[in-house]
Amino acid sequence: MAKAFKYGLKGITGYLEPAERDLLRSLFDDVISMLEPEERANQDPLAALVGLDTEAREPSDRALRRLLPNVMKDDDKASLEFRRYTERSLRESKIGALKAAALGLDKDELVLTPADARHWSTALNDVRLVLAERLDIRDDADAEHVHRMQDWSQAEDVESYLALVYNFTTWLQESLVQAMLASLEA
Amino acid sequence: MTLSVALGPDTQESTQTGTASSTDVLTAPDIPWNLVIWNDPVNLMSYVSYVFRSYFGYSEAKANKLMLEVHKKGRSIVAHGSKEQVEQHAVAMHGYGLWATVEKASSGHGGNGSGKGKGKRG
Repeated sequence: MAKAFKYGLKGITGYLEPAERDLLRSLFDDVISMLEPEERANQDPLAALVGLDTEAREPSDRALRRLLPNVMKDDDKASLEFRRYTERSLRESKIGALKAAALGLDKDELVLTPADARHWSTALNDVRLVLAERLDIRDDADAEHVHRMQDWSQAEDVESYLALVYNFTTWLQESLVQAMLASLEA
Repeated sequence: MTLSVALGPDTQESTQTGTASSTDVLTAPDIPWNLVIWNDPVNLMSYVSYVFRSYFGYSEAKANKLMLEVHKKGRSIVAHGSKEQVEQHAVAMHGYGLWATVEKASSGHGGNGSGKGKGKRG
């Protein structure tokens, strides 16, 4: 079993079983592949270099839309304009955090620097946002319903398996954030 | 937001003062844009509070107050500034996975969530 992250003399430490590390690696990889911008043949290489994406669109996938939301609630046109200037670098920074967290999965014992901890917390958060969309978590009652699913021996279909994975990543992120909050006090 | 384990003992009143960023100075009446954070059932309450503390430099008390406002009222104005400033904050919030939008300070929400305690540092 994984051990909760904690803050101590060595910084933020945690422990994950090999199967848990494999699971997290595949979750991080899944979100990375969702976020990777499609390469377009006719793309202006200079524009891409400065992060401009004149072809950017509001994502049709709900989960991706949650990761890359519109910047204005009631102005799709202005949001799209803003997206063209910012979305590519947002995707890249999220991918960077997910890759950094995945790289840290090579050992059972996790010792996180402050930068590692930030990458881990955003990576876990993005994974949870995607899982929550797949589980159709729309409000606190839905979240509570999913949260009650704690017994791995009950995992008999994709949804209950996803719920267990969601609860595991929630628990792991909560313990990490508590350790990060403890480090702020230190 | 979701409270997965417990907020723990560190939700008590804190005397620690945050190093508030310049957008935290809410005195200028002519600053026209707000950064709004919206509630969702996924983000952890502890994480939202952590982001407010570490990114904006808000005190623990102020971060928790804003986090609870998001949770209970569905949204909270967490920073003010020029359009460029709040847009930059919004991208940073999206980087953290928080659901953030920008809006003109007068855009019809009646200052929901920004009222009492405005300008009070923790």
